[in-house]
Amino acid sequence: MRFEQELVELLPRLRRFARGLSSDASDADDLCQAAIERALNSRDQWQDGTRLDSWMYRITRNLWIDERRAAGRRGSHTPIDDAVTQVAGDGAAEVEAGALRGDVDAAMARLPGEQREVVLLVLVEGYAYREAADILDVPIGTVTSRLARGRESLMTYLGEAA
Amino acid sequence: MSFDPTTIAAFVDGELDDLTARRIERAAETDAALAAEITRHRALTARLAEHYAPICDEPIPDRLRSLLGDVTGVDTSLADRRETRRARFSTPHWFAIAASLVLGLTIGLRPWIPAADVQTDNGALIAAGSLAKALETQLASNQPSDAAVRIGVSFEDKAGRYCRSFESARLDGIGCRDGERWRLERTLMGQRNGDYRQATSGELAAAAAAMMRRDALDARGERAARNAGWVRRP
Repeated sequence: MRFEQELVELLPRLRRFARGLSSDASDADDLCQAAIERALNSRDQWQDGTRLDSWMYRITRNLWIDERRAAGRRGSHTPIDDAVTQVAGDGAAEVEAGALRGDVDAAMARLPGEQREVVLLVLVEGYAYREAADILDVPIGTVTSRLARGRESLMTYLGEAA
Repeated sequence: MSFDPTTIAAFVDGELDDLTARRIERAAETDAALAAEITRHRALTARLAEHYAPICDEPIPDRLRSLLGDVTGVDTSLADRRETRRARFSTPHWFAIAASLVLGLTIGLRPWIPAADVQTDNGALIAAGSLAKALETQLASNQPSDAAVRIGVSFEDKAGRYCRSFESARLDGIGCRDGERWRLERTLMGQRNGDYRQATSGELAAAAAAMMRRDALDARGERAARNAGWVRRP
């Protein structure tokens, strides 16, 4: 029962993380639902005494990646494609900044997914770099470089008012 | 500016060792560009925290709660948990609190307050020196056991300010973030390592519980608040 109780206590934060990843509230709750179902089905893989929150964030993030890949194969596209953001470069970003000023959701949606997840884990959820690296299963240097790029883009998109 | 952007970001995120963090703090006092860069980073963190925080206060949709079975019957309302916490503080610490009241009677004079750690401003007590630094930067979750100032609980008070309880050799109390300063709302003669430790801890815990708007910050919340420069959303 402790497992379920801890999950219930985690839900508000998990919903916040999912909302940051998917932007759309309904999609985010779908993601949370899938994450809870996967956690319940594979709870024997979670070791009592280890951090349930890290494990749940990892499950949620991996499901989100799977979903994006599947959507890519189906040919559906997100409103702003990550590749476009990267190819367009800084000049285009600055042109866009005026339109995005003040809209955190739109600014976050423009970030490549790999930057968005790091920004959410460190700047919103408050994880240390090492903890974020563990959740994402990447080296800590990858976390810091993605975070730096994500930060700079957000500051540009949101303007000085950020 | 003699620090690279990654180091400045790491400073704002609380990822630097104490020595480097102190170097940056000192440099920022005279380097306007560095200070501006730190402020820019903190503003972004605060902006994001402010944007996403309300999601945590939304009711959990039934379709999610129902997946977790009977435990959804557990009452997780803030009001009830706060009531439970108050009861927990008040009963076992009854005698301790009574003892601390004796200490509290002398608060008006505050002769024990180390001058270097406290300043007064128009009658208000403001944290300074190492106390201000501890309130600003130290995390309860990873502070050294021999820290000169020990941070207790961090929380949001009913006025929407961040407040933190602290204990040190000569002064215990609760400081609340007021603009760029930490205003001391409660002060007691520090009894760390002394016989009255229980009394002051009980008093501070009860005072903190009475001031809280919602539950105390957990380790993650504390770190996020610290990283955001203790700036509350309006």
